[in-house]
Amino acid sequence: MSVSSQDAFSKPLLRERVSSLLRERVATTISPDVMRLMKKARAEETSSSAREMLNTQIENVVMAQEQGKPVCQSPGFPTAYIRYGGCVNISELAEVLREEIVSATKDGFLRPSMVHPLTRKNTGDNSGIGVPNIELEHDASLDFLEVIISFKGCGAELGNAMRIFTPAQIGEDAAGIKEFVIDTVIKAGGKPCPPFAIGIGIGGQMDVAAKLSRRAVSIRKWTDRNPDPGLAAMETELLTMINQLGIGPGGIGGKTTALAVKIGMSHTHTAICPVAVNFYCWVARRAGMRIYPDGRTQYPFDEEASP
Amino acid sequence: MKSVNLVTPIAREEVTKLDAGDVVYISGVVYTARDMAHLRLKRLLANKESLPEDFEGGVIFHAGPVVKKDDGSWRIWVIGPTTSARMEPYADMVGKLGVRAIVGKGGMGESTIKSLAEYGGVYLLAAPGCGVIHSRAVKKVLRVHWLEEMGVPEAIWVMEVSNWGPLVVGMDTHGQSIFKDIAQKATALKEEWFPA
Repeated sequence: MSVSSQDAFSKPLLRERVSSLLRERVATTISPDVMRLMKKARAEETSSSAREMLNTQIENVVMAQEQGKPVCQSPGFPTAYIRYGGCVNISELAEVLREEIVSATKDGFLRPSMVHPLTRKNTGDNSGIGVPNIELEHDASLDFLEVIISFKGCGAELGNAMRIFTPAQIGEDAAGIKEFVIDTVIKAGGKPCPPFAIGIGIGGQMDVAAKLSRRAVSIRKWTDRNPDPGLAAMETELLTMINQLGIGPGGIGGKTTALAVKIGMSHTHTAICPVAVNFYCWVARRAGMRIYPDGRTQYPFDEEASP
Repeated sequence: MKSVNLVTPIAREEVTKLDAGDVVYISGVVYTARDMAHLRLKRLLANKESLPEDFEGGVIFHAGPVVKKDDGSWRIWVIGPTTSARMEPYADMVGKLGVRAIVGKGGMGESTIKSLAEYGGVYLLAAPGCGVIHSRAVKKVLRVHWLEEMGVPEAIWVMEVSNWGPLVVGMDTHGQSIFKDIAQKATALKEEWFPA
């Protein structure tokens, strides 16, 4: 471990970077790839009221950025997706994440929204047991630390659904699964703040499918293409079908209901096929950064950045 | 489709003139109320205790703001609609209170369609995820109820608003609901795609 790598991942520097990521790239704007899709939808929308709704939504993001205000009053539930190779003190990083969320809350960037699940008592500062949810992935070959912070809206969460299919229920060409997805979208209607994206987790067991669905829609760029050709085709087919349903932005009708469909897959047991459908509202407050040992920082969701 | 300005307190006759798809702008007093406020109002009514406000002719906004306190007074920093479907179990209570307009997002269900027709009210859709834009209409916070016990999002914030809109009439007093229409059309399409 070189001296410089110690510096790049030191607690004060991590704090500075997490703080600015939270305030400038998460709370007060939306992910750049999602903004591109919103503008594309506005250009292609044929219903005038739907176009007006998209216009208001885009304008709201611009105003939030200009005024340094939260883009939406409801911050959603925070998850930090962390990938690292070595030389990172994860306990310190976790502490920084918890403290910086509380600090951003006190400064008006995030509404205090975390409550005890049963008593409903609000902690007042977005602290709490299991907040933020932190998911770690260690890969010894990585020379950078990646932190993606996602505040996933929870009105959207109300539309989520999950089902354990039997092989017979999957149907020809996965028709059973597609029908379940479409049915879930219809039932959710305008509740998940359309135009939303959906993550679909297929495989594993119940919790695995649920996690795959959340990760697919939270970590992947909404403009990317699934490397698995079969899943890529299914994503495109479902997106086309969903946008024929006529739910529209805000649920007022129109052809822009979903911006993306993202499928995460793992193998499962021969007896079952768990499927989870997970909505992510259009106000995609998620941003990531990759910090290299020499201090360089990249932002993986930026339009010019790869991948 | 027409565009109408409403000023609180709103008379029943004013909302019965509205049809689903119309556009509304509101001026006057608006009360935020989410899950916990509705639950508490229900408990107070069940125990025949007094309510903190008279909601007759009023506007309820399904919302929990981001607030700031400047020089001892509250300021609405950002505010926008939350998912209204969660408040569906209170449809009849809200109607009986004389609420003339419910503002939220995502639409509501059958109990609300019934309540709006019976007691005279409309459901208005506020652009979802547009908290900065909606906050421009808020002129000041008049008072807040139950803040200590329930926290910022769930408290009742009593706000003065000016020319707040455009808000789309999603459900009217005549049993019309754009959400129900859209869901029915979508379901018909689904049944065509996936015949039983």
